[in-house]
Amino acid sequence: MLGSERGVVEEWLSEYKVLPETQLTAYAATLHRKKTLVSALYKVIQDPNNELLEPICHQLFELYRSSEVRLKRFTMQFLPELISIYLRFTASRDRQNNGCIEALLLGIYNLEIADKDGNNKILSFTIPSLSKPSIYHEPSSLGSMALTEGALSQHDLIRVVYSDLHPQRETFTAQNRFEVLSFLMLCYNSAIVYMPPSSYQSLCRMGSRLCVSGFPRQHEKRWKEMCGRVMLDPGFMVQLLTGVYHAIYNGEWELGQEVLDDIIYRAQLELYSQPLLVANAMKNSLPFDAPDSSQHGQKVLKVEVTPTVPRISRTAITTASIRRHRWRREDGFDLTSESNPGSPILHIIPNLGETREGDVLVYLTPETISPDAATEGPEGTFTGEDSINLNDADEGFSSGTSVISQPVGAKQASSVSQRSSSRKAGSVRSVKEKEQPSPSKPSESRESTPRKQPVPMAADTSLEAIELSPLKKHLSLPAGHVVPKANSLSLIRTSSTSSSKSFDHVNGSQASGSGGIDGVTNLSTCNTNRFSTISLQEDRLGHAGEGKDLLSAGAPLTKQSRSPSFNMQLISQV
Amino acid sequence: MAARKAGSRLELEIERCRSECQWDRIPELVRQLSAKLISNDDMAELLLGEAGLEQYLKENPVKQGASPRGPQLKLTEVRKHLTAVLDRGNLKSDFMQEAKLIMAKLNYVEGDIKEALRIYAWVGLDDLQLVAAPPYKLRMIAEGFSIKGLCLEKLPISASTNSLHVDRDQDTITCYEKAGDIALLYLQEVERVQTASIQNRSPKPGPAAPDQELSFFLETGLQRAHVLYFKNGNLTRGVGRFREILRAVETRTTQNLRMTIARQLAEILLRGMCEQSYWNPLEQPPNQSPLDDPLHQGHNTKSYALSRRPWLYTGENIFCPQENTEEALLLLLISESMANRDAVLSRIPEHKNDRIISLQSASVVYDLLTIALGRRGQYEMLSECLERAMKFAFEEFHLWYQFALSLMAAGKSARAVKVLRECIRLKPEDATIPLLAAKLCMGSLHWMDEAERFAKMVVDCSDKSPEFKAKGYLALGLAYSLQATDVSLRGMQEDLQRKALLAFQRAHSLSPTDHQAAFYLALQLAISRQIPEALGYVRQALQLQGDDSNSLHLLALLLSAQKHHHDALNIIDMALSEYPENFILLFTKVKLESLCRGPDEALLTCKHMLQIWKSCYNLTNPSDSGRGSSLLDRAIADRRQLNTITLPDFSDPETGSVHATSIAASRVEQALSEMASSLQSSAPKQGPLHPWMTLAQIWLHAAEVYIGIGKPSEATACIQEAANLFPMSHNVLYMRGQVSELRGNIDDAKRWYEEALSISPTHVKSMQRLSLILHHLGRFSLAEKILRDAVQVNSTAHEVWNSLGEVLQAQGNDDSATECFLTALELEASSPIVPFTIIPRVL
Repeated sequence: MLGSERGVVEEWLSEYKVLPETQLTAYAATLHRKKTLVSALYKVIQDPNNELLEPICHQLFELYRSSEVRLKRFTMQFLPELISIYLRFTASRDRQNNGCIEALLLGIYNLEIADKDGNNKILSFTIPSLSKPSIYHEPSSLGSMALTEGALSQHDLIRVVYSDLHPQRETFTAQNRFEVLSFLMLCYNSAIVYMPPSSYQSLCRMGSRLCVSGFPRQHEKRWKEMCGRVMLDPGFMVQLLTGVYHAIYNGEWELGQEVLDDIIYRAQLELYSQPLLVANAMKNSLPFDAPDSSQHGQKVLKVEVTPTVPRISRTAITTASIRRHRWRREDGFDLTSESNPGSPILHIIPNLGETREGDVLVYLTPETISPDAATEGPEGTFTGEDSINLNDADEGFSSGTSVISQPVGAKQASSVSQRSSSRKAGSVRSVKEKEQPSPSKPSESRESTPRKQPVPMAADTSLEAIELSPLKKHLSLPAGHVVPKANSLSLIRTSSTSSSKSFDHVNGSQASGSGGIDGVTNLSTCNTNRFSTISLQEDRLGHAGEGKDLLSAGAPLTKQSRSPSFNMQLISQV
Repeated sequence: MAARKAGSRLELEIERCRSECQWDRIPELVRQLSAKLISNDDMAELLLGEAGLEQYLKENPVKQGASPRGPQLKLTEVRKHLTAVLDRGNLKSDFMQEAKLIMAKLNYVEGDIKEALRIYAWVGLDDLQLVAAPPYKLRMIAEGFSIKGLCLEKLPISASTNSLHVDRDQDTITCYEKAGDIALLYLQEVERVQTASIQNRSPKPGPAAPDQELSFFLETGLQRAHVLYFKNGNLTRGVGRFREILRAVETRTTQNLRMTIARQLAEILLRGMCEQSYWNPLEQPPNQSPLDDPLHQGHNTKSYALSRRPWLYTGENIFCPQENTEEALLLLLISESMANRDAVLSRIPEHKNDRIISLQSASVVYDLLTIALGRRGQYEMLSECLERAMKFAFEEFHLWYQFALSLMAAGKSARAVKVLRECIRLKPEDATIPLLAAKLCMGSLHWMDEAERFAKMVVDCSDKSPEFKAKGYLALGLAYSLQATDVSLRGMQEDLQRKALLAFQRAHSLSPTDHQAAFYLALQLAISRQIPEALGYVRQALQLQGDDSNSLHLLALLLSAQKHHHDALNIIDMALSEYPENFILLFTKVKLESLCRGPDEALLTCKHMLQIWKSCYNLTNPSDSGRGSSLLDRAIADRRQLNTITLPDFSDPETGSVHATSIAASRVEQALSEMASSLQSSAPKQGPLHPWMTLAQIWLHAAEVYIGIGKPSEATACIQEAANLFPMSHNVLYMRGQVSELRGNIDDAKRWYEEALSISPTHVKSMQRLSLILHHLGRFSLAEKILRDAVQVNSTAHEVWNSLGEVLQAQGNDDSATECFLTALELEASSPIVPFTIIPRVL
């Protein structure tokens, strides 16, 4: 340490002591500009044998205790360095030299845990919920996600306490060490914007050293001072990451990323999931283009102009495209005359023109009802609730859409589908289609009609067997069988849910049919069915996207069979 | 009359086409119009000029930063139409304004910036009426502001002096801001008109309006303002502008924009702001902020007003974020729901690019969600969010891995293992993943075979860096070691212990600076009663990590095995000074104290433990703690989990096996048969029951001390406390048996021991006491049978060997008895105060 630096520090020590209360504000305004003082202070802190260390720690504490927030922040900037030094001394069991730093850290901690009135400070925040309108959105405009069970259960905004009940601490012990340090880092992070670049550098140095020293990776580093492994705690590492993340984007692009890698290395070796999770996310979301390296210390908060034109082509099947897809009323459409014996799958629901925008008609085939057993693990974590979550996500498919189940004639089957929908408790609202005795009367599906309407018994019995069977049965049947009779409204449907569902069944094992239907169980367990259903769908919607209403019953089969995926579909049936 | 009606309908149709930018239909409509009303010549000129220009722009889109084009051949016709209108000046002033606006646009397209600016000054752009203007007019005005901004940006700097430079910057931005606001209003109006017409339309609908695509000028107006703010380093205004755009009611056209802006604002909140520098969207921004570049200091408040503003989200009690992370989360959730909507589900090759785009945009959002929620420790919610990402996740390692980690962080171990298995399939070369899985399997899941398999994956892979390989051997050794504790056949037990020892030795040699490797090696040696060797390694471990509680504990136990009880107690006291709330150390302390310092001290320690327990868990009764399912409860539970790291791994203090006591954790009033069947399943160690098990243990320890000093009634009271929590715990029953013995009630004692054994058939202490009673009753062969079983379960329990010797001696089998006594003697010489296996073994 140079004599001039010593002089600067000594002057600072004496200056504050004689400072009158009235000049505090002016003093605070100038303090942060004293660059030489700051670097001299770092040197003292790093040197455990310096006799100035104790008065400095004392004075830093005095500054922290003052009413002037800028003085507080002046002390705060040294926090990473102090923590770093403290932890390294602890690791090397050289504690007696450590006393004043320990005392300073504990002092700051004890000041921070209490609010102005001396009560325990409780830090909490509200978890926003999309189901509650906010200044940025309205639940209805985000699709019907708002009405899933998961969302409804969180309808009230939840306040979460993330830090409270920290007791006063007189001493550091191995047990409370990281509780205190994590809290200190939390305080640092909450004021990190006000910290000077030197503090960010110190933070990065600290992160790197704590994570790597004592491990083989240390040999790759430029710094050499040996010291054993420093114990770290996952919560502390997450706080450290928060600070480093800020540093990366505010001047320490290179150094920050190096630290990030070091933290990942350490988290991997310690098998700590939390820091690994957060650090992976930080690393993965780094912008591809590094900032200009000539501009060291630049902020890297860029915004780019984004084209408002959707970048995803319209023909691609997305959750949205399925939602967008509306069934238009075809005036004068005559079901009976249009029923095309050559078309095995295309049966139309006419008169659904009144469907509100954004609705999707999802047809519930028995396959959709496949129980959640497929995802069930031996320990049973994958039970009903989990699958509800899957549905929640899948807003376009099941959560908010009106689900028109087949007009099943058999009571048994209808009860099955109802049971399934009630089991999914709100995520799939089954709108029981009114069985129309004549096709001329429009059948309406309204959003939010969860109540079930009675299923008339008058359904055509000849349809029964067919309608209860899953999709592929329709396909494999000779066309003539499937063509509905003139007076029956055919809602036999290829299912769009089935494809969504099969995505969920990652392992591909589809259990099916909720008990009641025997035939279904046998028919829908075929694994290939999953892919073929999807491809069929793509085909269908792809064409629909081009504006050709393939869904009219008159669509020629030839057109379909030309498509390879459709062929695949047929093959898979065989 | 009919003609007039037709005319007005035609005009409406024209207006609609202009609003919806259907320029290709204009010429046809104009022809109809001209046929109807001859006087509308100028109107036709205007419309044809506009349509011509717009068609041209559709075919030759303007791009940001492109050089001016100069006069275009294709536009001469357009210019002719417009000049005609302007020269004649026959039209109403409204239409004249329109003609001027179009003319200015034409000039800009052709590169004549000054002329464009002149026309804007002429038309009085700033004073144009927004109220009651038809949508297309709003679009024109918005474009006008946007073009004016573009012109101002292009104007050479030298034209103005430097001091005015900042002012002009602000003027430019204000133009863009106005353009953006009016553009939003326009889009909202168009959509409103469209939905209204859809509802009123006669059954025969016309062709639906195509999805609106924003023109270059509107897009610029919407985005250029905030881009400039950030470019100038004025974060405060930039954030403010973002918020203004986001607060405007969404339209279909702005969805994509909103999604990106929401994400970008969240990025800025997470990367560039902090709690103390935050101001909420309804507050005035701070006047001075470290966020802003000091060189570009301007006013931080908005400086213009419009006669009409876009619709904002309003309502009573709408949620307004009050904190940094809150706002970021809200924005990210909105962005996520939109990204999710755009998930490309089809997997055909033609959609590969779309799929990648949708994956990327969603992946960024999920990463940011992870950062925001991780900061606040909300791993439970995070795992739910990441579960929604799974629709993108096919063959995407990063999403799978993050999902697995979030499940792990949220404590959903079983699912995490399953997802990790998929991660291993996707990235077999990463050693961390099987290690994580092994850690979970060895933890609360207690899936030892799985753990062994995962550990072998790491070990068998040849090209790993030594530190990971060492970790692999450590995992393997732990799996073997834990299995050894579980198996009941002695041969297998010894085999597993040998394997464990070998694995630990490999780990230690690969990573000599890892205190864990040294510690587990010592522990394994201690379990196989190689006390001096174990002492050597535990000292090494302590040199590497001086305040590791497990190492200190092991050292104390090793000292007690050498019968240096006072030294052991000193070590425990030292460890407790570092870990004052570590119950597992305190339990050992009680035992040591009753041995060295007498029962009073031990009872004091028990009392102390009760106090600590009370301060640690401010719970009232077990049913309360198990009930919580709301996020708040979960959050508390999360934090508790962190606290419990310092708590004993709740193993049976006698046999050390994890599964035995956990039956007691299952429901208190459950039938005995159910309890017995759940014997093998392990309850989650860190669930809400954990603190209660600790409490019961404290009472039982106190009871033991009382029994030791011959005070049955006090002991009974303590046992009763424990029994209130876990009436069916075998430990409780065993202690009851002890009390009965103390009271001389042998029959009762026998009954209690039998009950304890019916719950936990492998409870060695009960077996030993029961056989002693049987011995006294003269039923030697049954006693011998039970003791032999006990020896199978735990071959290092010297009391059992001793009892076995006594029984054999009573039966006259002196040779065998001698051997048993010798074994007992030998084991006693190396027996610690509590079994070594009480020390938790976790990865």
